[in-house]
Amino acid sequence: MIPVRFRASLGYLRRHPWQLALAVIGIAVGVAVIVAVDLANASARKAFLLSMDAVVGKATHQVLGGPEGIPENVYTRLRTEQGMNAIAPVVAGEARIGTRGLTLIGVDLFAERALRDYTGMLADTGGDAEPLFRAFLTEPGAVVLAAPLAASLKLEPGSAFELTVDGTARSGRLVAVLPDEEQRLGGLVVADIATAQEWLGRTGRLSRIDVRIEPDDEGALARLEAALPPGLRVLGAAGRTQATLDMSAGFMTNLSAMSLLALLVGLFLVMNSTSFSVLQRRPLIGTLRALGVTRRELVSLLLAESAVIGLVAAALGIALGVALGERLLDLVARSINDLYFRVTVTSVAVEPASLLKGLVAGVGAALAGAAIPAWEATGYRPRLALARSVLEERARRALPFVTLAGLVIIGAAVVVLVVSGRNLVAGLAAVFMLISGFSLCAPLFVRVASTALAPLARRLGGTVARMAVAGVGASLSRSGIAVVALAIAVSATIGVSVMVGSFRAAVVDWLDQSLQADLYARAKQGRIDEALVAGVASQDGVAAVSTSRRVVLEEADGRTWLVALAMAPGSYAGIELIDAEPAAVWPAWESRDAVVVSEPYAWHRGVAPGDVVRLPTGRGPREFAVLATYRSYDANASSVLVSRRTFDRWFDDDGIDSIGVYVEDDARPEDVAAALRRRDGATLLEVESNAGLRAAGLDVFDRTFVITDVLYWLALGVAFVGVLSAMLALQLERAREIATLRALGMTPAQVGGMLAAQTGLLGLLSGLAALPLGIVMAWVLIVVINRRAFGWRIEMLVDPGILASSVLLAVVAALLAGVYPAWRAGRASPALAMREE
Amino acid sequence: MGEFAVELAGVTRRFREGEREHVVLDALDFEVRAGETVALRGRSGSGKSTLLNLIAGIDTPDAGRVIVAGRELTRLSERERTLFRRAHVGFVYQGFNLVPTLSVADNVRLVLELNDVAKAAADARTQELLEAVGLGDRAASYPDVLSGGEQQRVAIARALAHEPAIVLADEPTGNLDDENARRVLGLLERLVRGAGGTMLIATHSASVARYCDRSVELHHGRLGAAAVPDAAP
Repeated sequence: MIPVRFRASLGYLRRHPWQLALAVIGIAVGVAVIVAVDLANASARKAFLLSMDAVVGKATHQVLGGPEGIPENVYTRLRTEQGMNAIAPVVAGEARIGTRGLTLIGVDLFAERALRDYTGMLADTGGDAEPLFRAFLTEPGAVVLAAPLAASLKLEPGSAFELTVDGTARSGRLVAVLPDEEQRLGGLVVADIATAQEWLGRTGRLSRIDVRIEPDDEGALARLEAALPPGLRVLGAAGRTQATLDMSAGFMTNLSAMSLLALLVGLFLVMNSTSFSVLQRRPLIGTLRALGVTRRELVSLLLAESAVIGLVAAALGIALGVALGERLLDLVARSINDLYFRVTVTSVAVEPASLLKGLVAGVGAALAGAAIPAWEATGYRPRLALARSVLEERARRALPFVTLAGLVIIGAAVVVLVVSGRNLVAGLAAVFMLISGFSLCAPLFVRVASTALAPLARRLGGTVARMAVAGVGASLSRSGIAVVALAIAVSATIGVSVMVGSFRAAVVDWLDQSLQADLYARAKQGRIDEALVAGVASQDGVAAVSTSRRVVLEEADGRTWLVALAMAPGSYAGIELIDAEPAAVWPAWESRDAVVVSEPYAWHRGVAPGDVVRLPTGRGPREFAVLATYRSYDANASSVLVSRRTFDRWFDDDGIDSIGVYVEDDARPEDVAAALRRRDGATLLEVESNAGLRAAGLDVFDRTFVITDVLYWLALGVAFVGVLSAMLALQLERAREIATLRALGMTPAQVGGMLAAQTGLLGLLSGLAALPLGIVMAWVLIVVINRRAFGWRIEMLVDPGILASSVLLAVVAALLAGVYPAWRAGRASPALAMREE
Repeated sequence: MGEFAVELAGVTRRFREGEREHVVLDALDFEVRAGETVALRGRSGSGKSTLLNLIAGIDTPDAGRVIVAGRELTRLSERERTLFRRAHVGFVYQGFNLVPTLSVADNVRLVLELNDVAKAAADARTQELLEAVGLGDRAASYPDVLSGGEQQRVAIARALAHEPAIVLADEPTGNLDDENARRVLGLLERLVRGAGGTMLIATHSASVARYCDRSVELHHGRLGAAAVPDAAP
């Protein structure tokens, strides 16, 4: 049996189902966004770890070389001379089947047994395994794929298909599919090592040697290291996986922060709904208090009610979040693939931890939203609880203190920003503190603004307009929270839009500057070598060429992208040096063992001109002088530039990835491009114009921020529900006043118009309150968060158009949210005013 | 306007309560002469407020005709009834129903503005009425700082501001002490009579009826015989 006092309280919610529904929607959407982002991040992370697990197997260490890889005979010597059995050679590279980017991995089936279970899985594929093994080892182009991947590519065992490896089309044949229920092998094309070497052009060389060292074999690591020739090194397998994963940590942390923002807006919405439902029950609260119900009992009652609402809403939000997570996962995986590493993930892995987070967030938000209003409402002396004027008076009196608290929190946020150094999480915490601080200042702004605007409104629109304007400030205990929720959502759109806009402008500038050549050529088939470069340079219409080679150097503490450049005369201007004079840097860079490092590299590794960096070369570790830092928004941010001459001195790698072609003034780039594409010879060139490459770069950038867009629109949606809820509750609160106006002769259209003006003003004030917060948020995102997460420095550009459209957005959102309440108010019967109190 | 300010003929109003139908007014015939003040008496729930709502055009009858100031309200649309009410009806409520976000003067000015009275004329009329109800010095105050009696005097000023054909008062003294009740009723009577207006006061109090020309009793949805008013004190 539910106690009567509970029934008395629940009766209110039963009578106002829309208010209950909006509170539930608010929490549910907030929870859904949290759960969705968390699931998408966790699924991408899990998929990556599973695929690494499949690739690494039981290996504890990996022997790595420089960009040129490891001579095959090193592996043979380790096996025969050192007697190491738990080792396996691996050749790995990028492959593509149709539009699917995959990882090609070449393995030695016989050596594999000690480390991975491909052989066991092959044997498990059914029937007689012997012909399968034979085909895999002897048939040119034989590969195996995971069953789900084969099915998605519509391939069956025995199917022949075309794949592109290192830019060259190859013929493959699927000899078997591997069972892969956990989707560990989703992105792998497994071939025999000889096939992979041939396809990747690495005959006689390995990408790495996987090693398993038993924990009790203490001297094994030292023996292995001693047996390796110079230039090769041993890294822990787990450390490599973590280093790869760490590359995306900043990206994922930022996404989580965006999802928290949606919950924060949701929290305000919940506070809005809960405080309304508490405030509107103050006559009931007063009566119950007068009848002897203690304050503690009443608070418990209201909190229990909120907890139940939070629980129901969180359950809904979790279901919604799982569905939304499926959609977000595509966006997250695409960005990770664009920016960091290959991850193949098709469905959300529902992690109990993510669901628990959603549940805690939902119930916590509901309780936090209810706690203050419940404590406040039950604190009145019983008789006072009946008077509305007491409430507004309290709200009025509390304003200076609330504002002061806001200013203190803003101050604390500044302190956190200053003292937290490079800590990204502390930076994000400061953002949330700033939001909270500004939120507490917003109600004062609303009061001051509405008081100031009221006389103007009267001059322009008479008493009715004055009434609309004054109503906003006068009902601050109701409208304040709605203003705050909308202001936060709008400030987030300003902050993120200004950040993305500034970032995009910086990337456009950077692309314009760094893409100096008219054309860029890559090998479509075959390899680019010196002879081909010379051939391109002598092509009619070509004034000069530059070349670049990008290799990955792996170390225990992460990866470095080493870019070897043979610059064309005058192309140095394409690299913007931040902290040194070009005239002093470039001659030394060309002739000495020196490097120029990217801004993110310098930030993350803490190096500056005058320092040295130690890089693993083909002749062992070597120190290079840092001459300068250059601006770079490359996704592979940890880049180091070295001259081709220096590179050739230290690495046995004559590869060239692309050629920059400078066209003579009197030649047309498109003619030169056509001629290059038609060249005879073993290597076919893929030629892209400067504009094409620039567009491709911006395309990746825009794709990266699609998910940001999605998240802030969701936050705005939550705020919209907040304003709708606030307006409906205000209308309920003012039912008698509205009825009186109708009785005095105001038409439904006039009443509706007055309420619409009020919501429009609410939106306008929210938008205006959002401006300073949005600009500060943009500044923090650009100067603190981006710098700490990615090491980029970006000039902040505030487009007045973004500010104007954000204010307009707030007004439109509020007006839309006000349409239904205004319509309802217009239809309300004026007979209510006649009813006796 | 003819002889009668209000004419109700065969007016019936029913309300449904779940499965049951409750007849509040039952084929009621009722007339109020122009310039007359009438006390409408009856117990709580007798249908007094419903009758006022029908006369104000806030509500419509299920059967019968309602003619106020020569206009048959039962033939008008909702919007036309609203515009009629705006121009010809003044209200005084038990709960005052002042707009809390408007000053005392603005509360009075609101109805003048709704009736498109020019600003200067509206300001003058507002001040005149506030002086008349003894609140000339409280024009800039807000309702929440006024006593109950003061609030009701503002409500009277608001009800009379646009010189309506009929003033409807629903338990105007229900929330006031005796002294304030006497003061408010005296004021209402003086001002309405002074303007030659018609007034209908719904009340359950016998003493209120003393301020009126006559008194009618509403009982089970029908009017009792008109009573001769007691003499005013």
